[in-house]
Amino acid sequence: MPSLLLRPHATLSHAEALQVAQQAPEFLRKNPASYSASPFFSLFSPPESSNTWTIYENLLLACLRTGDNTTAHQCLERLVVRFGASDERVTALQGLVKEAEATNDSELEKVLKEYEEILAKDNTNVPISKRRIALLRAMGKTSESIEALVQFLDFSSTDAEAWMELADLYLSQGLYAQAIYAQEEALIIAPNAWNLHARLGEVLLMAAESGNEGNPQNYLAESLKRFCRGIELSDDYLRGYYGLKRVTDKLLDANSKGKKSSESDEFTLPETSTIEKLNQAATKKLGDIVRKYDAKDPLWQGYDAGEVAAARTYLSESSQKVVR
Amino acid sequence: MAWLSRPLTVIGLVILAHGCYSAHEHTVLSSTSVQHPTSPSATSLPLDIYIETIAATLLICLGLVLGSGTPEPIQWHTWAGKIEREGDSTSSDADKELRSNPFNALEARSGFINISKLRNDFVKYQQLGK
Repeated sequence: MPSLLLRPHATLSHAEALQVAQQAPEFLRKNPASYSASPFFSLFSPPESSNTWTIYENLLLACLRTGDNTTAHQCLERLVVRFGASDERVTALQGLVKEAEATNDSELEKVLKEYEEILAKDNTNVPISKRRIALLRAMGKTSESIEALVQFLDFSSTDAEAWMELADLYLSQGLYAQAIYAQEEALIIAPNAWNLHARLGEVLLMAAESGNEGNPQNYLAESLKRFCRGIELSDDYLRGYYGLKRVTDKLLDANSKGKKSSESDEFTLPETSTIEKLNQAATKKLGDIVRKYDAKDPLWQGYDAGEVAAARTYLSESSQKVVR
Repeated sequence: MAWLSRPLTVIGLVILAHGCYSAHEHTVLSSTSVQHPTSPSATSLPLDIYIETIAATLLICLGLVLGSGTPEPIQWHTWAGKIEREGDSTSSDADKELRSNPFNALEARSGFINISKLRNDFVKYQQLGK
């Protein structure tokens, strides 16, 4: 299954990671240890594609995750042979292996020092900067990590991945306004990413529910827009419809309680009838998706089982409320 | 309809070859017969060869179009919806293109991966399995 090997490693579950790691020895055996630049030898060796090196990287990560350090070192060696030990990305991977093999905090500190030495020579080394930020976060130094990430974004402000990481860091600290800002920056870079729209909608919903800062109605209106945009960009998007139903339920709930806020100057909430229509559409679509998934329709099996289960529970909860 | 595609294309090619051969034969014959050099019908091709060639070309086109697979969606939301619905479960080895949301990488963030936490989680996962 090549698609599993090519998927970004962090999206894999533990079982899938194990499956990938088990394919590593076979992949290493099938592919030559080094690719020759001479055209004569390339006639006899299997073709080298960009996918090959993505797979090596994913295998390296999977082996590290499952604790298979010897195979991980073999993968790393191939990458070093191909790209050289001074390549930025390869250096970051070498650091990653050291991080994985570190058993206590002092060893991690040593790895961090190495990163800082490299950055002292070249402070625009992107992969190493990212590793340093990730390591700081892993060591629990969240505020230092945020500081480093903000500095990183100063010179590399078109890196959507880094903006998303910043949003996640802020969110872990409960700083919703900052998280929303970082998330919006990421959306400017990748405006077609439907999952980012849904995620921003979720963060806005969380901000509205926490209700410490700003106007919750404001957040809800913005969240409604985000989920609608996500659905507009992707038909049958479970996450988008789920969020839309949650938001519209909340808005309708607030409206029926007569909690209409008076200071409606900055935001425009759609008409109640529109919200009701959106709610009905979301309920219908969620029902469809859950039913087709449960019926094992071969064209509807791409959803995450956990997400479908959550939608099912939420649908049955809300229908009980209606009956009451 | 896919089974029709190959026979149609082959028949079309045969008819096209026949049309070409007829045209060639006709020009050779008309150039050797110099008895009536003034008659225009001797130099221009007969109508049935024209019709044969055009019909054969159309037949080949039809065969090729029927044989091609279903087109991929060109609208963004249809394409994205297809990915969401089907995932990579239906992708066979024949089409190795990536069949998952390309923007998932932004939420996974491989550059910021926390490997020691993943390692510890994996150990716990294995202990649970036993």
